[in-house]
Amino acid sequence: MLLVAACSVLFISAFALVVLRAIQPEARYTWLVAVGGSMLAFVTVLSWGFQLPFELTLPAWQPQILFPTPIQFHADEIAWAFSISITGLLAAILLTAAVGSVVGTSLSWAGVLLLGGFGVLAVTANSPLTLLMIWALLDMTELAALLRSVNGERNNERVVVSFGTRSVGSALLLWAYIESYTAEAPLLFQAMQSPASVYLLIAAGLRLGVLPLHLPYEPESSLRRDFGTAIRLIGAVSSLSVLGHVQISVTWVNPFLMILALIAAVYGGWMWLRAPDELNARPYWMIGIASLSILSALDGNPAGAAVWACALLLSGGAIFLSSVREVRISRALLVCAWCLSSLPFSLTAAAWTGTSWFIIPFAVAAQVTILAGFIRHALRSSENKSLDDQPSWAKVAYPVGIILLIAIQVFLGILFQISLPQIGNWIPGLVASILTVGLFWATRRFRVFNPARAHWVGTASQGINNLYQGLWSVYRAFARIAQTANRALEGEGGIMWTLLFLALFVSVITGEIK
Amino acid sequence: MSAPILWIALPFLAGGAILFLLGEKYSSYVAGGLTALLSLIALFIPIDAALLLGAFSFKISSAIEVFGRSFEFSAADGPLLAMIYGLAAIWFFGSESSGAAHRFTSLGLMIIALLTASIAVEPFLYAALLLEMAAMLIVFMLVPIYQVPGKGVVRFIVYQTFAMPFILFSGWMLAGVEANPGDLGTTIQSGIMLTMGFAFLFAIFPLYNWIPQVLEESPPYAAGFLLWALPVFTVIFALGFLDRYAWLRNTAQISNAVLVSGLIMTATGGIFCALQRHLGRILAYAAIAETGLFLLALGLQTSNLLEIVFLALIPRGLELTVWALALSIIKRRAFPLKFSDIQGLARKYPIATGSLVLAHLSVAGFPLLAGFPSRIALWHALTNQSMTASIWMFVGMFGLQIAAFRTLAALVMADEDAKWELNESWIQTAMLGIGVVGLFMLGMFPQILQPFLTNLPALFEHLAQ
Repeated sequence: MLLVAACSVLFISAFALVVLRAIQPEARYTWLVAVGGSMLAFVTVLSWGFQLPFELTLPAWQPQILFPTPIQFHADEIAWAFSISITGLLAAILLTAAVGSVVGTSLSWAGVLLLGGFGVLAVTANSPLTLLMIWALLDMTELAALLRSVNGERNNERVVVSFGTRSVGSALLLWAYIESYTAEAPLLFQAMQSPASVYLLIAAGLRLGVLPLHLPYEPESSLRRDFGTAIRLIGAVSSLSVLGHVQISVTWVNPFLMILALIAAVYGGWMWLRAPDELNARPYWMIGIASLSILSALDGNPAGAAVWACALLLSGGAIFLSSVREVRISRALLVCAWCLSSLPFSLTAAAWTGTSWFIIPFAVAAQVTILAGFIRHALRSSENKSLDDQPSWAKVAYPVGIILLIAIQVFLGILFQISLPQIGNWIPGLVASILTVGLFWATRRFRVFNPARAHWVGTASQGINNLYQGLWSVYRAFARIAQTANRALEGEGGIMWTLLFLALFVSVITGEIK
Repeated sequence: MSAPILWIALPFLAGGAILFLLGEKYSSYVAGGLTALLSLIALFIPIDAALLLGAFSFKISSAIEVFGRSFEFSAADGPLLAMIYGLAAIWFFGSESSGAAHRFTSLGLMIIALLTASIAVEPFLYAALLLEMAAMLIVFMLVPIYQVPGKGVVRFIVYQTFAMPFILFSGWMLAGVEANPGDLGTTIQSGIMLTMGFAFLFAIFPLYNWIPQVLEESPPYAAGFLLWALPVFTVIFALGFLDRYAWLRNTAQISNAVLVSGLIMTATGGIFCALQRHLGRILAYAAIAETGLFLLALGLQTSNLLEIVFLALIPRGLELTVWALALSIIKRRAFPLKFSDIQGLARKYPIATGSLVLAHLSVAGFPLLAGFPSRIALWHALTNQSMTASIWMFVGMFGLQIAAFRTLAALVMADEDAKWELNESWIQTAMLGIGVVGLFMLGMFPQILQPFLTNLPALFEHLAQ
């Protein structure tokens, strides 16, 4: 019931915004409706804590003999943490939107609330079938919203590429479901112990939304900051949440995946550290943190995967939404650096409790670059914006939005410290913190950490372009082969070819029967 | 009133009447209304049972004899008739928006009547003749009187005509097999004949090469109707064979052959679909892949075969209606439907392009859409039987998804300054909207098909056991 209440609040608020946009397009109080809806949802999700754990099962698909797996949602402490993070992010996005235009943007706020509602459903999904459905809802919402808001051939194509990449991730989840399926019992996440759980990792990786690297918004678009943040972060967390529910089984492929994840983490961290600004570097933030989350999952530490995913959303949300930087806000953002440090009582304190000690040095190296990059971006001065020329209510609402995200991280850090007994490997956190201070000191003194903007963007997009070109060449080669086959079968001699195939087929069957 | 008169003679005559008496304007409403009414009657009024309405008592009798042949419907046929005429009603109502209502509805009613007769006729081998007659009428639907038929249409009628003698011969031989079950030679020969007949009817690989050609040459709505009607009735016809002849369903080699044919169709259909650059051909290959799924289901050695088959049959009607209607609307603006012709059209026809992509994704088994539950059910059954088969089915569905993404990319790649417009008429918008809602409803709540699915297996009592 509580799950229904939280999601209903979000969906009803989104619907109200759409109706208001239709009947009163210039209304200024739409912002209040949006903020009110998101705050109410946040409080509702907070209140889940008194009733955990709980379940919601929708009426079963019929005939039940064909569909034994129910559409089921399950809220435990991990799902609760994810839901708090998502609804907190929604509230923060809408509160910080106060410093932008509050007229004419209500549809994008409705989109943010819708995405949030689907995000909450995704993180509480308790079976692969349920998650598939919610992922599809998220993907369709994102596709519709992006297609509506972008212009130009290239940008529209990138939207479809992003949708396609996510769908490939969903297809892998579907495959994991098919491979794990047995007719005897409904297939819930808790029961997924088979090697198929490795597909979940790859699915989560593909669905992070980092391909294509940048969302198709103009650099100056406000949508890029608020709506773009919602799309990127909620989409990523709804994908990574699955790693918090499943114990990844040990297979021969795990070491290779670990190496890949380590490379991705170090690469993401390095690019994030050297990026000219945080919005351009958002995909690398996600690659870096998500890789650490995947590493934790591979290391047999689902709680670690969950805390990294929460950090991705909350610390990322705080820095990406802070379009107006004042000294107090920049200093407040440094609390996020502590939350990322994996020191005791920090949000990521459960990060390094796995069993594979050999990954820790590399993972700590990635963590250090991410942390140093975060501090660097947090202390960077802002884009010619100031709170001074904002109305008084915006001066209050904006910092409240940023601080809300920081407060949630502190709260979750304490909560995890109490509820997860295995927390306690603080040595990697301490090493990472010391190294971060050194690296941050170095970033201010060595040019290698501060490339010119044009060089940085060029390197990043060139590699991806080469990848696309390679894939496109393969596709064209296949298309030529198919065209040749079609011409042969549909041309004048097609019937002869057809009958030849048929004769072959019949002879094979006859041979089998004999 | 007798059931064959109600569900065969009446729509056939109505089709003739529409052809000669009605104009373009009302034909779709009359045909749609009539088929909807017939569907409701089939759903709510039991065949061969007396009903008391106040002082009046009436009964729909089950059989009628024509030239010594009998046409017979039992009470178990009710849900099947409701399904067929319900889906036909959707096609006929949609024809108004497609712009070719008059010829489509009149011939469509006659075709549906003939195909329905193929279910009812006894001895049931005469169904092959009725299917051939329906195929002949379909030619007139695909090609206007004054136009020379294209290569695809010619090949279609040639292959359908090839099917008929094979089926009739196999029927004659099957009688011998029943009389003398130990005669392995006759059994193999009849099995081969039957396989060949159904290979032509189902248009298995590589006999399906007429389908992409027809979709290139003919009106998409009429071609879509053909891709819905013929495979659906052929599946029912094939189920009849499996139900009657125990040796057919118990011979592992035949089941395997059907399964492999389905796999090849699904996989090649999906792969070829991903490599096309013409919207009509994409629809053709998607329909081929979906027909392959029916064959996969027919080749399953499971007691749930009937549920899985019918779970896939009903959404197919809705998917193809929406897809073909959207394609008809787009074709008026972007003939001949190549990617270069349709680029950026989503901004001018958002409803049609959105519906087209959703229908395509549904055929590809995208979650939330009508095709998804049946794919999941089929995958479950297939995985228990063969993991390799599951992988190939996955490849086919994945190919269909890639084709959907490419179509979507081509449709949305508009110029920088292109504005959003709504060029669909209100009736087109309404029809596509209803269709899309239906796709989502069937995808999210497949249990709404349960009233049909519960009773349909009674039609095939041996298969249902």
